Amino acid sequence: MPRAIRGVLVECDPSIKSIIVKIDSEEHAYIVEELDDQTLVIKENMMSMLKARLEDALKETQQPADDSGSD
Amino acid sequence: VVDQIRLWQIENERMKATPGFLFRDFENQKEYEGCSRYADEIGVLIWKNDAKRMFFVTRHEQLRDYIKSRKVK
Repeated sequence: MPRAIRGVLVECDPSIKSIIVKIDSEEHAYIVEELDDQTLVIKENMMSMLKARLEDALKETQQPADDSGSD
Repeated sequence: VVDQIRLWQIENERMKATPGFLFRDFENQKEYEGCSRYADEIGVLIWKNDAKRMFFVTRHEQLRDYIKSRKVK
């Protein structure tokens, strides 16, 4: 009998995926299954937490430059 | 540096998240193929990998019933 596992399918660039894998490696709290280099399944209740962590990680990666004139 | 930032922004937007169910651990290729084909036919299939015998669907109720009915046969 096949198993059905609830989760969120996340499709993204390989670079984003590798950051998610790195975040998960600290406590293994997010990833249900890695499917390929652009696709993984995340625990549904951890999605918002992961997005916040991902945004933080991306902020660290990019320079804190605000070159666009938006306010 | 500016190009790098733009790249990150594009990648950020490219991230797509869809809630649903991952189906895995099929007993054999035939069972996998039958189920993934059925999922596709009823329009719930959004990702599959034949080599891994796994697929992802947005809804699972109808597919569950189908799998049970296959077992009865």
